[in-house]
Amino acid sequence: MLKPNARTIVLTLALLGTMTIATKDTAAQTQLPPVPAAIKSQGVLRAGVRCDQPPYGFQDQNGQFAGIEAEMARQIGAWVFGSPDKTDLTCVTAENRIPQLNAKKVDLLIATLGVTPERARVIDFSQPYRWGGSDLLVPQNSPIEKLDDVAGRTVIMLKGTTQAKWFEENMPKLDTLKLNTSSDALQSLKQGRGDAYTHDAATLIVIASKDPDLRIVGEQFAISDAAVGVRKNEPEWVAYINAALVKMKEDGLYRGWVEKWVPADIRQFYIDVFTKPRPAAR
Amino acid sequence: MDFDFDYLVRQWPALMRGLAITVQVSALSIILSIAIGLLGAACRLMRVPVLSQLFLGYVEFIRNTPLLAQLFLVFYGLPTIGLKLSLFWSGVVTLTAWAGAYQVENIRGGLAAVTKGLHEAGLSLGLRPWLFFRLVAAPIAIRVSLPSMLNTSISLLKNSAYLQTIGLAELTFVAIDRIAMDFRTIEMFAAICVIYLVLVLALSIGANALEARLQRPFRS
Repeated sequence: MLKPNARTIVLTLALLGTMTIATKDTAAQTQLPPVPAAIKSQGVLRAGVRCDQPPYGFQDQNGQFAGIEAEMARQIGAWVFGSPDKTDLTCVTAENRIPQLNAKKVDLLIATLGVTPERARVIDFSQPYRWGGSDLLVPQNSPIEKLDDVAGRTVIMLKGTTQAKWFEENMPKLDTLKLNTSSDALQSLKQGRGDAYTHDAATLIVIASKDPDLRIVGEQFAISDAAVGVRKNEPEWVAYINAALVKMKEDGLYRGWVEKWVPADIRQFYIDVFTKPRPAAR
Repeated sequence: MDFDFDYLVRQWPALMRGLAITVQVSALSIILSIAIGLLGAACRLMRVPVLSQLFLGYVEFIRNTPLLAQLFLVFYGLPTIGLKLSLFWSGVVTLTAWAGAYQVENIRGGLAAVTKGLHEAGLSLGLRPWLFFRLVAAPIAIRVSLPSMLNTSISLLKNSAYLQTIGLAELTFVAIDRIAMDFRTIEMFAAICVIYLVLVLALSIGANALEARLQRPFRS
């Protein structure tokens, strides 16, 4: 078997490289571990990203993949294959992303995927790359000022989301209206079929900034970590992705992507979730 | 394969609550759609001015547009013109309107079996058109069109699964909602398919019994 030898050599070289850099300038630089052979032999990185979750993953006016998570996928593609064009992006939804991964349609998910024990049963997660909380979107004139104000009212949410889980566990008596897409939920909120729409704070902030009739309640809850999803039993691939995520942070890439995809007035929120430690909340 | 029966047992109460909604919404819609069918078929056959043309347009509209589009039209479209129905009634209205169009055609087909001779006989006995319809034409037409009416009713029952898209907590909604939470796909879909199968079989057996009952006077 040549493989372990080759890996040892690469590792040694990488170590040597680290040492050389370390002596040159004092900043510690993460070196990426070897790419798993199965990925390398494909010649292209197949990543699942969201298409309806600006600014993380969405499609621009020309139907091109856009957003911070799409940039992350392209960056990993660039590190693996030497060119960001070697990334084949696939549009995944909240319901189909895990089946798409496990059916080997994609090799990783960078798709607003929150870390939960239920999901960890069927897939593996990388280290978290950002945290994300939930919030409530309400009409401008709503009496709801904090999370507890929703008691006795109807809250709109999407099936299978972190929020659906959170309300089921923490406010089981609450009236809910569970729908399939963000646009259904938004439409229903505007037509008064519910008093509030709960989703990821990051998504709601974008909607509220565009719609003067709606506002964010602003009490974050159910804060969870978002991580890259990979199939079970691919430890080398997870190690590679973890190293790539550390490198993105070290190289300060997130700030640039946030500036590219997020309007200036709501930018700070997104810089915080990628670079600051996760706050405590309910 | 891991098929978790304990999981199904735990989710059984939720599935039964979903089933109750499915049965309510379907039963109500089946009854109302047959009423629309009778009314529409009568208007069409007796060429009632205006109503006949309205029913023709209604049947063509329903038969030539997707049910899902009709559902969204009722649920998201009507509120913009000031008519906001609850989840349940949005479901009933959509399913009734959908099946009603098919029932008009089913019953119209049955009424075609009411021959001209019968009509003349009825008139010569002094039956007014409405009485003739109620006492002679409808009983014959229902017997003839019962199998196709059952078909439409079965489709209605199965199509009630579409109501999960507007968030009505019927049987399919419960399954999809739990799958999105717990990823027990095979367990949930297998369970609801069996439940739908039992439900449709029960409906068929009921309709067959009704058919046998209605045929009683004609058996030798």
